[in-house]
Amino acid sequence: MGAQQREYKKRIGSAQGMKKIFKAKEMVAASRIAKAHARVLATTPYADAITRAIGAVATHSGDVAHPFLDQERSSSGRAGIVLITADRGMTGSYSHNVIRAAEELANALQEEGKTPVLYVVGRKGETYYRFRNRPPHEAWAPYHEGELPELGHEIAQRVTADLLSEDPETHLDELYLVGTRFKTRFQQVARATRLVPIEVVDADEDHGTARPTYPLYEFTPDAEQVMDELMPRYLESKLVNILLQSMASEHAATQRAMKTATDNAETQVKKFTRLANSARQAEITQEITEIVGGADALSGSGRKER
Amino acid sequence: MSSLAVTFVTSDRTVWSGSASQVVVPAADGSMGILPRMQPTLAILDRGVVRIHDESGQVTEREVAGGFVSVDADVVTIAVDRAARRDPAER
Repeated sequence: MGAQQREYKKRIGSAQGMKKIFKAKEMVAASRIAKAHARVLATTPYADAITRAIGAVATHSGDVAHPFLDQERSSSGRAGIVLITADRGMTGSYSHNVIRAAEELANALQEEGKTPVLYVVGRKGETYYRFRNRPPHEAWAPYHEGELPELGHEIAQRVTADLLSEDPETHLDELYLVGTRFKTRFQQVARATRLVPIEVVDADEDHGTARPTYPLYEFTPDAEQVMDELMPRYLESKLVNILLQSMASEHAATQRAMKTATDNAETQVKKFTRLANSARQAEITQEITEIVGGADALSGSGRKER
Repeated sequence: MSSLAVTFVTSDRTVWSGSASQVVVPAADGSMGILPRMQPTLAILDRGVVRIHDESGQVTEREVAGGFVSVDADVVTIAVDRAARRDPAER
């Protein structure tokens, strides 16, 4: 066997090995998407309940004042950005997309004269900022998939403390969330949303459109305390929800990336098989030519026997 | 006979849902019983026990720590941070 053929065989072998790994990763990710998505759906009733409750308090007690509702929060000029990225690689453009969205947001905030403050979840985001010599204000990495609700709770407590802080060094005027929304298994969108100040759907603004009407609630102990209890929970439920959605999106992105990698490995195998075949054919052709040439040379010399 | 449509959720799952005849929750200013046709109420919950009497008379109890309950036209939504079984032998 020729050297060239051996080289091609080696390449085919390694491509086949990689293909197996990619395929396995793809299948693992595919099985995790459904589980992660189910966890997102499991949080929906709670999120709905809390959103409804806040809507009810806001519409029925006209003068609720909560620091998170204040539209004119501008004391320190600091705007918090919670960025959710992946811990691992092999997720295609997943982390890249959210980081880009966060950078765009940070630039927009800077143009408005605000100072972006980063709270990063995931190793990919952390290393991105550390490498560029702008370490994030706070980073949670690495994290575990099973502990996302606890992580959400921790982050919520941290940002709530900063939002309510009196110290101008740590106080945040606004809070943005940058994560990936899981729409379907094939479509995920990296998006930045403002979380604080919360825009309460004002009853006076759109009378014409259909909006839920809330009953006249009796508040126990009173509307203000109810609001104080609900707000941090609302923030937390939003955070947990986006964390879970991002996790599901990460798995979907991994699956897609690994599918592409598997396809690529297959193309490689095919290409090298072709090359190996033609190399073998060339070798055979050459051998035949040599034999025929040798025989011709012998017969031309006039000798009868060998 | 009217009954209560109860949804009992924690931040990451639904603990109990169905129709009940009576619900007792640990409101911030004392234990609060909820019966059908109660006026719409939104209450903050303290640490304590949520007790749900379903229509067949069975009682479900969960230990909770903080949350809120909303009652509106016999629709009861209990949302809490954590819910634990009171007695592991139960069920």
